[in-house]
Amino acid sequence: MSNQTIIKVEGLSKHYLLNKNPMQKNDTLYGNFINGLKNIKQLTQKKQTEDFWALKDVSFEIEKGDRVGIIGRNGAGKSTLLKILSRITPPTKGRIEYSGRMASLLEVGTGFHGDLSGRENIYLNGSILGMNKHEIDRKFDEIVAFAEVEKFLDTPVKRYSSGMYVRLAFAVAANLESDILIVDEVLAVGDAAFQKKCIGKMNDVSKNDGRTVLFVSHQLNTLQALCNKGLVLNKGEISLNISTSELAIKHYMLLANQTARTSIVDRLDRDGEGKIKVADIKFSNSAKQQIEELITGQELNIHISYQCITSFIGHKISVAVAFYGDDGVLYTVVNSENTGVVYDNIKGSGEIVCFINKLPLMEGNYFINVSITENGIAQDWVQEATSINVIAGDFYGTGKINPSSHKSILIDNTWLKQ
Amino acid sequence: MKPERIIIDSHLSSFFSLKDVIKYKTLLNNLARRDFLVRYKQAFAGIIWAIIKPLINVLVFGYISSKISNSENTTTNFVYVASAMLLWQLFSNVFNEVSNSIINNANLFSKVYFPKIIIPISTLLVCLVDFFISLSILIVLFILSGQSIHWHLLLAPLFIILTLINGFGIGLYFATINVKYRDVKFIVPVIIQFGMYATPVIFSTRFYLDRIPEWLHWIFCLNPMVGAIDGFKYALFGGDAIYNFNYFMLSLLVSFVFLFIGVKYFYKFERNFVDYI
Repeated sequence: MSNQTIIKVEGLSKHYLLNKNPMQKNDTLYGNFINGLKNIKQLTQKKQTEDFWALKDVSFEIEKGDRVGIIGRNGAGKSTLLKILSRITPPTKGRIEYSGRMASLLEVGTGFHGDLSGRENIYLNGSILGMNKHEIDRKFDEIVAFAEVEKFLDTPVKRYSSGMYVRLAFAVAANLESDILIVDEVLAVGDAAFQKKCIGKMNDVSKNDGRTVLFVSHQLNTLQALCNKGLVLNKGEISLNISTSELAIKHYMLLANQTARTSIVDRLDRDGEGKIKVADIKFSNSAKQQIEELITGQELNIHISYQCITSFIGHKISVAVAFYGDDGVLYTVVNSENTGVVYDNIKGSGEIVCFINKLPLMEGNYFINVSITENGIAQDWVQEATSINVIAGDFYGTGKINPSSHKSILIDNTWLKQ
Repeated sequence: MKPERIIIDSHLSSFFSLKDVIKYKTLLNNLARRDFLVRYKQAFAGIIWAIIKPLINVLVFGYISSKISNSENTTTNFVYVASAMLLWQLFSNVFNEVSNSIINNANLFSKVYFPKIIIPISTLLVCLVDFFISLSILIVLFILSGQSIHWHLLLAPLFIILTLINGFGIGLYFATINVKYRDVKFIVPVIIQFGMYATPVIFSTRFYLDRIPEWLHWIFCLNPMVGAIDGFKYALFGGDAIYNFNYFMLSLLVSFVFLFIGVKYFYKFERNFVDYI
């Protein structure tokens, strides 16, 4: 290990055994009973299992003071890597060497107990994160000030608003003293103002205090703002080793472009319960003809076909489609629930159509994330389900087009005459 | 100060280290505090419940046994049973709570690293607090019933510690199995319930041994709580509570074997808990 290297990872692999015939999930009392009997009967038989490598032979070195963004799709192994680095789970092969104190924030508010007061929770959470009493005493005022909960210190946190709760939780974590900080998407909580505050704090600790930071986020623009280095993971392997964050994001986008070409229904890199799955996404124009390229300002129909294993009658099912630019910026999200539409008769397979009157996206390449939610539970979430090109079009009907350097969402606007 | 260098390796195994426990003593304290505070939050009678529960048990079983045994001195017999009951309750509490402690705190160690042994130890501390509340009741009973004060009394803490060792060792073993098979949650109460009747709680060791065939005697004494309870009775009341010294030593030996196995088994799988939880 050279003087500059603070973390050295060599040949790291993590293996899981998956049950080939997973236990039939049956939540009824009778089903449970039958499953129990079956399990006892199969006690002597060898289980059929399947190998799964969450990480395969990952090696890299991180230098002191680097802020490294770890980029990868769902199931690329980012979380597994962070879990091994933070000693939560051991690797199957390989080794890691690091020096200094490591703090990992895989979640904010670990161990928070609703019945305890804010004060009690600061001590509890602080000690779970590895601080001793003296340290917490010293940081206490800072934590309380950052979280803005002075008045509610002796109130049980279950009476806190969710905003206050998250603020307090983040405040404890942010005041942890460490040489290496590992952060997993915890910034995806709280309101916009608070997120900004968190990013500011993170910037502070990493840039000014010279701490080494490993950061995982789906929001590439946050990542770009925070990190100077990047590491791209794909299917458990390193796709691009430590390099500048710009290069890493570019590489990731290229990778996303390739996978976006494979058929959605066969994709394995998805999240959610999986009882309903997105099978395909197609686009059509006002003449109901299928199109491969979209045009700014034109009428657009998004056809989302789905497959489900059980029928969902009377359930509230909503579908959302998000458009990301190839710069990693989220441009817009359309969500059926927000327009007041939920689908309550979903069975077998079928198609859901979203109609957009005037496409407000400007010229460029976009990635599309799609998700299906049932009664508030994510059933399917495919990132970069597909990519689509948008051709410059006449949004305002005047023949004038915003310059592509001002890439943004277009909105209708009217200027009043003098 | 030179920064600590840490190596994570696929084939490193973990061992019990007192240094780790001391390093994380703030966490140990806070976890125990949490469990204790939370238990009686929003309970109108609050901590009084910690007294009522063992008191009822002691009263009921003490009364029943003093009726059954027909002994001349009912009060002494009552305190006798109460002391055994107290120790049994400590054991069953520690055993039950420790065996569930790991799965109950899975949300903690699946997100943050700390030595996992901290969890069962903090559980043990909480059980001890409850025990001291019940112990004070026993002390009052002991004095009121006019028992004589002996040098034997000094031995009592040893048998309390032995009881903790029993509950902790066996509990740790079950806590480890519990990570993968939640059946443990149902098995432990059954063991505790039947275990009480295979332990000299209500009746003395002599009572049992007189009634079972001789070849079963040593098997009866494999129960590690036999040694702890008989020793405790001896410490408190003297006399012939320890029926057979060899059997007593056997029971003591079993206690330490269980502790060893429990700790060993726990550390064998500790690193992989997260993957099975």
